[in-house]
Amino acid sequence: MTAAAPATAGEKTAALVASVEDLRVHFELKAGVLHAVDGVSFDIADGETLGLVGETGCGKSVTARSFLRLIPTPPGRYAGGRIRFWPKEARQSGGEPVDLLQVPTSDMLDIRGNRIAMIFQDPGKALNPALPIREQVAEVFYQHRTEDLLEAWNGRAPRPIRRAASQRAGKLERLAFKFPPLRSQSKRLKRRVDELVGDALAETQIHNPRKIMASYPHELSGGMKQRVMIAQALACNPDLLIADEPTTALDVTIQARILELIRELQHAHQTSVLYISHDLSLVRRICDRIAVMYAGRIAEIGTTQQVFHDPRHPYTQGLLAAVPSFAHRRGELAAIEGTVPELIDPDPSCRFHTRCAFATDICGRVDPVLDGRVAGRPVACHGYASPEELGVAAAELPHLDRSPA
Amino acid sequence: MQIREYVIRRLLILPLILIGTSLIVFTLGRVGGNPIAIYLEHEMTPEEVAQLEDRYGLNDSLPEQYVAWLGGVLRGDLGFSGVSAAPVMDVLPRRLAATLELSIAAAIVAISMGIGLGTFAGARRDRLPDHLTRVFAISGAATPIFWFAIVMLIIFWVYLGWFPVGRSDATIFASIPHPTGVYTIDAVLAGSWTAFRDAIWHLVLPAVTLGYGATAIITRMMRSSLAEELNEDYVDAARAKGLPERLVLRRHARRNALIPTVTVIGLGFGFLLQGSVVVEIIFIWPGLGRWMADAVLRGDQATIMAYVLFTSILFLIVNLIVDILYAYLDRRVVLGG
Ligand SMILES: Nc1ncnc2c1ncn2[C@@H]1O[C@H](COP(=O)(O)OP(=O)(O)OP(=O)(O)O)[C@@H](O)[C@H]1O
Ligand SMILES: [Mg+2]
Repeated sequence: MTAAAPATAGEKTAALVASVEDLRVHFELKAGVLHAVDGVSFDIADGETLGLVGETGCGKSVTARSFLRLIPTPPGRYAGGRIRFWPKEARQSGGEPVDLLQVPTSDMLDIRGNRIAMIFQDPGKALNPALPIREQVAEVFYQHRTEDLLEAWNGRAPRPIRRAASQRAGKLERLAFKFPPLRSQSKRLKRRVDELVGDALAETQIHNPRKIMASYPHELSGGMKQRVMIAQALACNPDLLIADEPTTALDVTIQARILELIRELQHAHQTSVLYISHDLSLVRRICDRIAVMYAGRIAEIGTTQQVFHDPRHPYTQGLLAAVPSFAHRRGELAAIEGTVPELIDPDPSCRFHTRCAFATDICGRVDPVLDGRVAGRPVACHGYASPEELGVAAAELPHLDRSPA
Repeated sequence: MQIREYVIRRLLILPLILIGTSLIVFTLGRVGGNPIAIYLEHEMTPEEVAQLEDRYGLNDSLPEQYVAWLGGVLRGDLGFSGVSAAPVMDVLPRRLAATLELSIAAAIVAISMGIGLGTFAGARRDRLPDHLTRVFAISGAATPIFWFAIVMLIIFWVYLGWFPVGRSDATIFASIPHPTGVYTIDAVLAGSWTAFRDAIWHLVLPAVTLGYGATAIITRMMRSSLAEELNEDYVDAARAKGLPERLVLRRHARRNALIPTVTVIGLGFGFLLQGSVVVEIIFIWPGLGRWMADAVLRGDQATIMAYVLFTSILFLIVNLIVDILYAYLDRRVVLGG
């Protein structure tokens, strides 16, 4: 089922698209500092699909939004770490990555929607209700493909047209577009945009792009809206597509088709995907590797095979043990005994220790590190830590029964 | 398309609403006072009074009187204005033009300031500019207009002398023809810069004063709805496309924030019409409101009824415009009867 994994954990052979290192995103709330993301690290290799799974509120969306710096600050704060990103040119020429948390805003605008694109959970909310589809998809081209739009002018486009092609035209200019001599040129620009928008929509198997272009979001079905979002996201051939639960809000029958579509287009565009979900069965179907997240941290990372057949972290083990139950609503992570810990001003500890059957004293006192040395792949559990480094006796560490139950 | 049909339908219903309005206006006139009060004098004998009543048809049945009145209205005869000592229709156009000029100027102030300030504050939620704007907006909604008008008058006319009262400088006003009765437009038509400047100069103080309350309402609505829209997913989606904040705000968030604001603008116009009575009195503005106030004091029924009828029509028209705008902005609205 799984495609050949480009990179197995531990050996970073394939080129990376992105590398998150010790990312910390905090929210300063009245009650204290909420550690929504508190030391998250993972890599995304070129062309792979990395799944990020975890219960609701564990910080998946915050992690995803941090790639594009979409966290509202305040109350949010990028409290630490970095997200390195290698655009195509950098990957091919072995160039330097950029740190997405540090790049100047103008560079960030150029990355958003162009090098890194995002699909949101609820397509019904992610499209502007007041604008027709055409305008919304067109924005991507105006923003990132100005040269492309002006191709027909051979570099001799008049200034107002050039400004229009990058969405800089003022009110007066837009008025002038209604009259000769600019009228025909502005129409030509519009036609070119229509063409590109139509092609982008057609690529997501929308059969009547022209009709959809003239529609408003409320006139479309959820699946159709998500196709539009996908078309918009892939319009510029991004290096990385972040899909934040793209099918959760959709009908079960449509979910499968959207999933299939994302996979196909990912292959066609050679885009890496960060696929966020709390639906394990779904992630299993499309991801090469999986990062399991719990309460703002990564619990473990492995290939889909490894995570499903040889889960190392007690949290993952608990999740999988509960997975095939019909008692739970479809797509929801199964409940494990206990409650998710308070993330406001937390003390150093394994976040899972309150619910963990193996927890010992040390789990409530010391942060586990995401370490690949003992377990063979990154797992954040004291059960895999070395007693010497922690400065404790081996007996004080949790003793996990490692054979799959 | 859809919107055009809707407008046509609304326009067709308009006469029905107007008839309803006229019924109410007529009934109020009969309940609220004696139609010939203004012509009565202490020395009159009962016979003379009866003669007057007979002359104005007050002995007919009420439906007959209504039909007679309505017939007059349709022929353009609204009776005789006692306070102006002239037929109502001779005075009304000028008065209406003056009031329209003032209210539209005030509406322009209120809408542009309200939307501008509201956008400014909403995009800076919970920061200093937002708090300042909120103080401004709350005090605007809480300040009684008669008091505010007098304060403005004292500051800008009495002390600073920056702005005049009244509508115009008499000699300049007389120097141009007045085909529309709207001073600013007439000045433009006459190509007279002096007259135009005079018109604007006189307009500023009453328009700002009159617009203050509505500005406050619009600002508050715009601020809160923009702040709310900025939390929506589509705003983040727009940012995720790489749009600069300027476009995210203008093309995406503000457009949707305008939807609830537009309804408030309709309400605000009602506010303006109410306020115009006070402002016209204090700033000596020769409009409908001032005329009406005189008429009320002297029991001049014909003038009062003309005022009520025409302000109702104005209000209906404004509401129609607001509904159309609303439908244009919010595509999800299903237009219907
Ligand atoms: N703008 C914000 N202000 C305050 N707290 C926030 C904000 N955004 C997220 N959080 C908090 O950060 C934590 C992580 O939220 P996040 O949205 O990343 O969860 P999630 O894993 O995506 O959950 P879900 O599966 O429900 O989407 C939550 O506790 C949430 O309340
Ligand atoms: Mg989420």
